[in-house]
This record gives sequence, structure tokens and C-alpha cells, in this order.
Amino acid sequence: MLRKLGIWGTIAIIAVLQIFPLLWLFNFSFLPSSEFFGSSILKWPDPFHWKNYSDALTHGKVPQFFLNSVLVTAVTIVMTTLISIFMAYAFTRMYWKWRGVVLGIILIGMIIPVQTTLLANFLIFKNIGLLDTYWSLILPGIAFNIPISTFILTGFLVSLPREMEEVAVIDGLNIFGLVMKVVIPLCKPAIAAISVMVFLASWSDYINPLTFISSESLKTLPFSIIQFQGQYSSNYGAQFAVLTLISIPSVAIYLLFSEQITKGIMAGAVKG
Amino acid sequence: MTKMLSNKLIITLFIMPGLLFFACFILIPLIYSAFYSFTNYDLLQPYTFIGLDNYKELIRDGDFYHSLWNALLMMLALIFIQHPIAIAAGMFAQYLGRGEKAIRAVYFLPTIIGVVVGSMVWSSIFSTQFGLLNHLLDIVGLESWQHDWLGDPKTAIWCIILVSMWCGFGYAFLLYYTGLKGIPADLHEAAKLDGASNFQIHTLIDLPMLKPIIKVNVILAVIASLKMFDITKLMTNGGPFKSTHMPLTYMYEEAFSLNRYGYGNAVSITFVVICLLVTFAMNKMMKSEEGEA
Repeated sequence: MLRKLGIWGTIAIIAVLQIFPLLWLFNFSFLPSSEFFGSSILKWPDPFHWKNYSDALTHGKVPQFFLNSVLVTAVTIVMTTLISIFMAYAFTRMYWKWRGVVLGIILIGMIIPVQTTLLANFLIFKNIGLLDTYWSLILPGIAFNIPISTFILTGFLVSLPREMEEVAVIDGLNIFGLVMKVVIPLCKPAIAAISVMVFLASWSDYINPLTFISSESLKTLPFSIIQFQGQYSSNYGAQFAVLTLISIPSVAIYLLFSEQITKGIMAGAVKG
Repeated sequence: MTKMLSNKLIITLFIMPGLLFFACFILIPLIYSAFYSFTNYDLLQPYTFIGLDNYKELIRDGDFYHSLWNALLMMLALIFIQHPIAIAAGMFAQYLGRGEKAIRAVYFLPTIIGVVVGSMVWSSIFSTQFGLLNHLLDIVGLESWQHDWLGDPKTAIWCIILVSMWCGFGYAFLLYYTGLKGIPADLHEAAKLDGASNFQIHTLIDLPMLKPIIKVNVILAVIASLKMFDITKLMTNGGPFKSTHMPLTYMYEEAFSLNRYGYGNAVSITFVVICLLVTFAMNKMMKSEEGEA
């Protein structure tokens, strides 16, 4: 009995610590800023202060930044997956001398922190005119997601039998058709896992847009908050509404793909 | 089939895009960075070469050491505070039955919403004006503990470490939880038949079986603390009095806020070397340990 209480107690305390800040955020996003300074920890909004959300949508530029995030994230995911799958295929199925060496080089990419190339990329992009374009977010995003994605796909392909591919070739598919029509469908679970991982990394990316983007029209979702902090610093309610709105897509993704996320994280972690 | 699979042209076509990305956005930037680390470039005026001056300055730069110290503190906190809690929670969660999925989601929520939202929420919690923390202290009668949490160099770094543990907890938990799930049930049953208590099962069977996952998690914690940027940047921007800088926020500030681009690159290159050394050392350590076992 006491043991059960201990187990449930611990689990519950951690759960409260993890979720309470978010509940507080959600709750206060429905309050006018004047009520932030009250005496209770959580308050039933009476009435619901929807103006926070309309303020958030208009001043926080949430819809526009949201579309930018969708565009950057989608292109990054598709390109990373395509490039990685062809590479992984060459690493696991094809016969060539420098296979091990090249794989080793690619995997070094996992050790180097993205941020250490930030200063150099800033200048390079400035010189070749990529600064302040979508590409300045997409290209480094792809580059730094390729190593881990290739690694996961390589591991997955090794475990797959080759018969399907042989049959397809006998049926007359060329090698591109083989990868597109046979290998990609076979790798669906791994592709789902890496897509989710790339999504999480790209969607909440803050350092790259902070450095490379200066035009309002190209900023991504995390910047809605910063936008608000600067210009409407005392409008706490609307700031909380922005934070809530930004969280919704990620939470939706989790609810839809929780199994893939778990698999993706496990696959991603095995690299250690 | 074999002929098709050893076609040099196709192999080149398959690996070229990936290699190009590696070269253009990882390798060349690093070379660039190394180049500018020998200059006094400020992004505005033409630069001159100053040899090793940046590195000489870096060796004596107390602020840089302090940022490394902060990264080390973070690393230790993750490994010795966050992880033991995550392991215990992972073990306890195995008893939950139906609620497991819900608990997993609740624990993972802070990770899923990302560090940007997390940092901003916690900034509000630590706020002196309407912050939840001071408010809670008020309610439980500990007004005297109220504090400007992010404005005091003594507490600011711990606030940042706390937020980073909060954001990453779900991730660590998930790894331990699924790792524990993977331990064959007959191992537990056999131990039970032999009269082992639950405590013994957890410490004598589960913990050793978790060893590979613990290793992975420790490596991830080290990498996470080294790469730490967003939380510090958003919550304190390195302040107050440069007390919460991490190596990367320090690099960023030197290069872009103080216009010492050359020096920032020296920080960056030094930091890459540190990361490679740490990874190399960890791999060595883990390998030699495997050798003994």
C-alpha cells in the first residue's frame, strides 16, 4: 500500500511539475493583463478574454509566420528525406570502395554543433545573396539533418531483406524507379520517424532565423513571441495567447504521431 | 543486379547531393571560420590579419571559461539530477497499466512545444511582477524568499538549468521508459521465483540492463549542454553581468553584438575542437568500459 502510494505520488508530482506551467499559461491566456497581478494561482476567466487571441493574431503576425514555418519545415523534411534515402541506399546496397570512409565523414556531421557554422554561414550567405531568404533557413537545415537521417535509414535498410528489390529489378525497374517505388515504401516507418524528428528541429528552430532573417515577411513562428515582447511588452495576456497558439501545431503533431515520435527518438538515440 | 549496384555513375549521383550539403554548409563554413579567426574583422571595416592574437586573448578570457563552466554545471545537473529522476519515473511508470500513455504525453509535452515557448513561459514564472514563483512563495508564507530570480547572478544560472531540465525531461524519460519495456519479462519472473524483492529487481536487473540507454542518455546530455543556446539567449541573453553565458551565446554576443566577428570565430573554432575532443574522449571511455565487461 505504502509502496503504491510512493509510486503514484512520484509519478503525479513529476506530472504536475511538467504540466502546471503550461496549464498556467493556458489559463492566463484568457485573462486581461490587469488580472495577472491577482491573489490566486489559477483563475476561472470571467468572462473569457478572447481579445488576447485576436490581438495575438493581428499584432503577433501568427498566420503569416505560421505559413513561413510550414514552408521552411516542409521543404526541409522532403529534401532531407530524399537525399538521405538515396545515400543510405548507396551505403547499404551498392558496392564501392570508399563506402566506409564516406559514411564516416557524413556521421562526423552529427558531432559538430550547428551553431558553430553560424558565424561563417552568415558571411557566406551575405556574400552570395542568400541572407534574408527562405534558403538561408532551408539549406543549413537540410545539411544538419542529413547525417542523423542517413544514419537511421542506413540502420533500417540493413535490416530489410533484399528479395523485393531483386524481384522489382527482374520486372524491369531501373535503379531510380527501384528506390522511389520499392525502397521508399518499404522504409515508411523510418521515414515517418525522421520526418517527425526533422519537424521538431525545424519547427522550433530559433537560432538560424535570428541570425539570417531580418525581413518581417520571412520570419518564422517563434518570432511571433519576440515580436510581441518588443512592441507590446505590457500586454501579457496577448503574449500568453501567442505562446498558446504557437504550441498548438506541435501538440497536434504529437497526438497524431506519438508512436512515430517514440520510434524516431529511439532510432535517433541509438547512434550513441 | 550486381552490375547495376556497382555502377559508378549511379553511386556518384546517389551520394553527391548529401556530400555537397556536407561540404557547403559544414566543411566550408568551418574553414571560413578558421580563416576569420586570425583576423580582427568587425563586419564593418576591412580586416587585417592578426595571427594568433584572438586565440591568445581567448586563453586569458575569464568570460569564456565561465561559459564553459556553466556548460559543465548544466551537464552535471542533467546527469546527476534529471537522469536519476527520469530513471525512477521510467521504472515507476511500468506499474501504471492504462495510464502509461497519458503520463508519457504529459511528461513529453514540454519537449514537444519546444524550448522557445518553454523559455518564455518560465521567464514569466520567474518574473518579479506577476511571476508564478514569487506568487506561490507568498501564498505559502515564504515572502522572505521572494526574489528577482533572473536578475541575480547567483540564481539566474540555476533558473536556466532548471528550465533546460524541464524541457528535456520527457526525452530522457521516454528513452528509459522504452528501454525498460524492452527488458524480457521472464528475467523479472525468474528473479521473483528466486525470492527477489521489487527493489532488488530494479537495482540488480533493470539498472544493469539499462546500461546502454544510460550511456546514450549521458552522451545526449553532454551534447545538449554543449549546444545550449536558445534558453539562455531568450531568458537572460547571457546576463546579468555575463553570468549565464554558454559558449555559443558568448560566441554570438562577441560576433554580432560587440562586432568582434574575428574573435567570435576564434571562440567558435575553439569550441568545435572542444566538442570533437569531448566526443572522442567519451567514445574511448565507453569502449574501454565495454572491453572490461
